[in-house]
Amino acid sequence: LHRCPTAMDTDPVKQSFQAIKGAVQANDTFKNVTILSKLQSIKPLDMCCVTRKLLEFYMERVFKYREELSVQISRGVSSISNSFLPLQRTVQPCKARRLCPCSEEATRATSIINSNYDQLEVQAAVIKSLGELDVFIAWIDKHYHPEPSTA
Amino acid sequence: DGVAVLPAPQNLSVHSTNMKHILTWSPVVVPGQTIYYSVQYQGEYESLYLSHMWIPSHWDSPIAKPECDVTDDITATVWYNFRVSATLGSQTSAWSILEHPFNRNSTVLTPPKTEVTKDGSHMVIELEDLGPHLEFNVVYWRSEPDAEERSKLIKNGGISVHLQTMEPGAKYCAKAQTLVKAIERRSAFSRVECVEVEGEALPL
Repeated sequence: LHRCPTAMDTDPVKQSFQAIKGAVQANDTFKNVTILSKLQSIKPLDMCCVTRKLLEFYMERVFKYREELSVQISRGVSSISNSFLPLQRTVQPCKARRLCPCSEEATRATSIINSNYDQLEVQAAVIKSLGELDVFIAWIDKHYHPEPSTA
Repeated sequence: DGVAVLPAPQNLSVHSTNMKHILTWSPVVVPGQTIYYSVQYQGEYESLYLSHMWIPSHWDSPIAKPECDVTDDITATVWYNFRVSATLGSQTSAWSILEHPFNRNSTVLTPPKTEVTKDGSHMVIELEDLGPHLEFNVVYWRSEPDAEERSKLIKNGGISVHLQTMEPGAKYCAKAQTLVKAIERRSAFSRVECVEVEGEALPL
């Protein structure tokens, strides 16, 4: 089975997230609620679809809302959002080449994530989604180990 | 706030070498006065989704010199825009925007300065420290016909690294290049440096 994309370089995102992780997670007032639920049950076949949809989720529904954030967190979010662009451009060709199918389960999983987000007021949902970025990145890393670069 | 009578800074440009990015502009001159400047940036994400949003540069504003180290602002391999305004007392100029957005994949990569030495019979290399983004590929060999080249990836500069143990009477050489994973590029190789161990060559 040809895996697409073959690798995802998440290092830039991880570095940027580490810089604001503490401040963001400290601002999360709904500790007992999770937005990125069900990720662990995603099948390998649905990896590309869910990755693409979640990248889009963050770009469209999370990184845009910064007005109430501090300059330090806003800079961090800018850094992360700009690091997401190359990741999107890594996944986009897979969809173009029909190598990024979405099963019913994948579509349902991402719908649940969006409705989890909708249960909260926007600013609270943004903070929580930002705080769960390490869950998303760890999930991507687990499935897309980059091939070792040859010297 | 101050009426924009002060002229806006002109000729903004980014000079980037080995992933260190410096924004410069032509100074605004008012005889006998010190002009201060504010720098803001916008990544490609902001220009696509939040075009009204500009972020203050990490480099502390206001700045008195007509240049600013924007290395810490540029954290992704995408396009970045910069704008600068001048301030004199309560007067603030209009913003002046970089004519062409900057992408760090255009940075100039120079071969690293190297120092190849011997520590007894050990071949050692030290490379200049060029900051967190740059790694080094070192190629080294024994100077003889059909020599086999070997290579070693060195993550940081500024430290001595053992390359190999040498035999008496033989000459050993090395060269190095910088690698930047974030932009998937490498520099040209440095000049070749050799060291030789005195003494008789070992019998075959």
